[in-house]
Amino acid sequence: MGDDATRCRPGAFARAWAKAVSGTSYLPMAQAQLEEMLQRLTERLAQALRAEPFDLRIGQQVGAELVQAHIASAEGLGRTVEVIQLRLVRDLDLVVDDVEDRMARLLATVATGYARALRDRTLDEQESIRRAAMMARAQAERALRDSEARFRHQATHDPLTGLPNRTLFTERLTDAITAPGRGADRVGVCFLDLDRFKVVNDSLGHQVGDSLLVTVAQRLHRALGEHLVARLGGDEFVILVERTAGTDDAVKVAEAALAAVREPALVDGHELTVSASIGIVERPVAGTSPMDLMRAADSTLHWAKAAGGARWSLFDADRNRRELARYALSAAIPAALDRGEFYLDYQPLTSLRDGRVLGMEALVRWRHPELGVLRPDSFIPLAEETGLIVRLGSWVLAEACREAGTWPGPDGDAPFVSVNLAVRQLHRTDLVTEVRGVLGRTGLPPHRLQLEITESTMMSTVVEPVRALRVLGDLGVRVAIDDFGTGYCNLAYLRDLPVDELKVAGEFVTGLRAPGSGTDERILASLVSLAHALDLTVTAEGVETADQADRLRAIGCDAGQGWHFGRPGPAAPHLGRVPAHVDAAP
Amino acid sequence: MQRPDWAPETIDIERPSVARMYDYYLGGSHNFAADRAAARAMVEAVPEAPLMAQANRAFLRRAVQYLAQAGVRQFLDIGSGIPTVGNVHEIAQRIDPESRVVYVDVDPVAVAHSHEILAGNEHATVLQEDLRNPEAILAHPEVTRLLDFTRPVAVMIVAVLHFVPDSDRPEEVLRTLRGALAPGSHLVLSQASEEGRDGTGERAEAERVYRRTDSQLWIRSRAELTALFDGFELVDPGVVWVPQWRPDSPDQAENAERAVFMGGVGRLGG
Repeated sequence: MGDDATRCRPGAFARAWAKAVSGTSYLPMAQAQLEEMLQRLTERLAQALRAEPFDLRIGQQVGAELVQAHIASAEGLGRTVEVIQLRLVRDLDLVVDDVEDRMARLLATVATGYARALRDRTLDEQESIRRAAMMARAQAERALRDSEARFRHQATHDPLTGLPNRTLFTERLTDAITAPGRGADRVGVCFLDLDRFKVVNDSLGHQVGDSLLVTVAQRLHRALGEHLVARLGGDEFVILVERTAGTDDAVKVAEAALAAVREPALVDGHELTVSASIGIVERPVAGTSPMDLMRAADSTLHWAKAAGGARWSLFDADRNRRELARYALSAAIPAALDRGEFYLDYQPLTSLRDGRVLGMEALVRWRHPELGVLRPDSFIPLAEETGLIVRLGSWVLAEACREAGTWPGPDGDAPFVSVNLAVRQLHRTDLVTEVRGVLGRTGLPPHRLQLEITESTMMSTVVEPVRALRVLGDLGVRVAIDDFGTGYCNLAYLRDLPVDELKVAGEFVTGLRAPGSGTDERILASLVSLAHALDLTVTAEGVETADQADRLRAIGCDAGQGWHFGRPGPAAPHLGRVPAHVDAAP
Repeated sequence: MQRPDWAPETIDIERPSVARMYDYYLGGSHNFAADRAAARAMVEAVPEAPLMAQANRAFLRRAVQYLAQAGVRQFLDIGSGIPTVGNVHEIAQRIDPESRVVYVDVDPVAVAHSHEILAGNEHATVLQEDLRNPEAILAHPEVTRLLDFTRPVAVMIVAVLHFVPDSDRPEEVLRTLRGALAPGSHLVLSQASEEGRDGTGERAEAERVYRRTDSQLWIRSRAELTALFDGFELVDPGVVWVPQWRPDSPDQAENAERAVFMGGVGRLGG
């Protein structure tokens, strides 16, 4: 049709046609272009009217071309039929035989071609939009999957170091335990923690700390690539060692990890040398659980830390059992206090001069419903660690004062009660209030209460507690230094402390037993004379024999405590004791 | 309305889409039953709806022709819809085959369809983004790959802005786009207006129809539309009923207000 183009100057019919169809649908062309196109079709129509024999195809092609040119609406066809019928023959001055018949056939072919093309176009467009909808849905689903994958990655990885996080580690560990593959019937976990990481953070800032963590993470990942390395948080990392043959395999991994951390690291211009501690647990997967393993590795890590760090520790079931038992015990203290499972035994402090019971040390006991009577060394350290000592200590103080208040003897003559004070109790701001309160409630005269503070507690004591002791001392409460001689107490320092008595540690007294133990005896003698010079009385602890008692008496020691004078027990028997010459059997 | 990027919209062809409704008004068949039902309801309420769409499309065509003849070779068509007939790239590349065109639409089906249409066209592409995220559009790798913002770009926002409420700050969207454009760039804008039309309840009815779609209608006056060209110099004849904007022949501009849409073209000077 290219040769037609040059001849296409729109005539009156083409212009009328263009006017008729414009506005029936959107036509993506200017009016002039439309007229040119319709002029071309006009010539085809004229040709069809004249052609002999009548050619069905021409009219059909014109109909199809109208649709292709986007004159594609019901109105477009209607107006086209109308304008052809009304004006084609007249406007073009056509002379055709049998024109009505031919015109009817022409219009039929145009309508046929038009309808067929419009139907095809509609179907094509429908198919294309449905395909687009499917593609869009597939794309949306892919985007969703990608974002789920990204989401999952975010949820299972640590944003700082990019290492797997606790969630992913727990998943993998759980898989290793619940669905072990062939030859994977043992598994190891190495719990790693940097030593003194806080110092880096505090001194160089968190940014340097973070950079260090990233460096450590990279090194661990590089050194232990085949094993899953995860960051649990802070400076805690964990390594999953799958398919171990035995403990050695896990130890090798731990050593590689320690070596990787040990290398000096250049972080933000600082050369940092860090070390790590590792707790290792390696065991058969059968009979363990992820939680068990993690807990065991965690406590093993603390053993490595407690041993000074820069090392690994291997899980030890017996040790763990003991620690668990200790833990269980300390957790049971509050309820035991409520249930009244604690009680006090007393051990006399006896005058070496006349054998009189000067005072009695209150010693706490725990009548444990399952374990029987427990001595303080099995629960006091725990109570001190956990802080429960404060509550327990308050109970001991109150109970000791209450009992002492019932001891017979004219006022001022009955023995004092000596109560141990833990460092945490000493640091409490309301210590004075508490002691005053207890004395007030029990009616015990202040001079019948002695507070025992260990030498190390005293040495670590700062201003406030000393002031509290001085207030108590002014009230008349006695203050004794317990276990004297085991620390490094400066005697000159004692002069400034509100102290009434020294309790010399049993070690010195033990030395008196052996013949020729002159050194111990001389040390004791000078201790006693120094104490007396400072106006302090001296009680020797751990006195087990009459011989020791004699020597202590000779040295000038004021009082003794120990099996020789009486074992810890209820107060009453000690109170009834006849002084001096009669010794209770040990 | 804003979704996090990890939660793409579901493709729900049971819900009418303004892009496919527009296609229906233009006589296309790139639409689904729900689109046709909504479009028919719209025609019921506003009988001129198909005329409006056609007049807009014709305005777009004349604007692109004008811009191409003025030497613009880069086009950013935001809210391009279903590419049926007379697309920007067809018009612009007929004048210069090197003309670059980036289509942007929020409708994922429209975007997928455009992808199909544009397959093999090195100088034209399409991406899915919301007009209300102009920063994301400008930073999109396809945009930065195809368009050179040191040279004039025509930003086309045709028959879209009436779906953007004032609360979404259309003026800020335009300011952001303008900030990225070099002198000699253009803004082509059109949207539904009720300038000088008396309230016949058509608007309320039209708004009711569009509530079924994800889009609401926000009609703006000529003054409001003119204000959106802030920073651009309006090309003659300014903001007018779209059939009045440089018509092919004077009779096409008759009864122009029946087209409901006003539009104009602005040029960035300097």
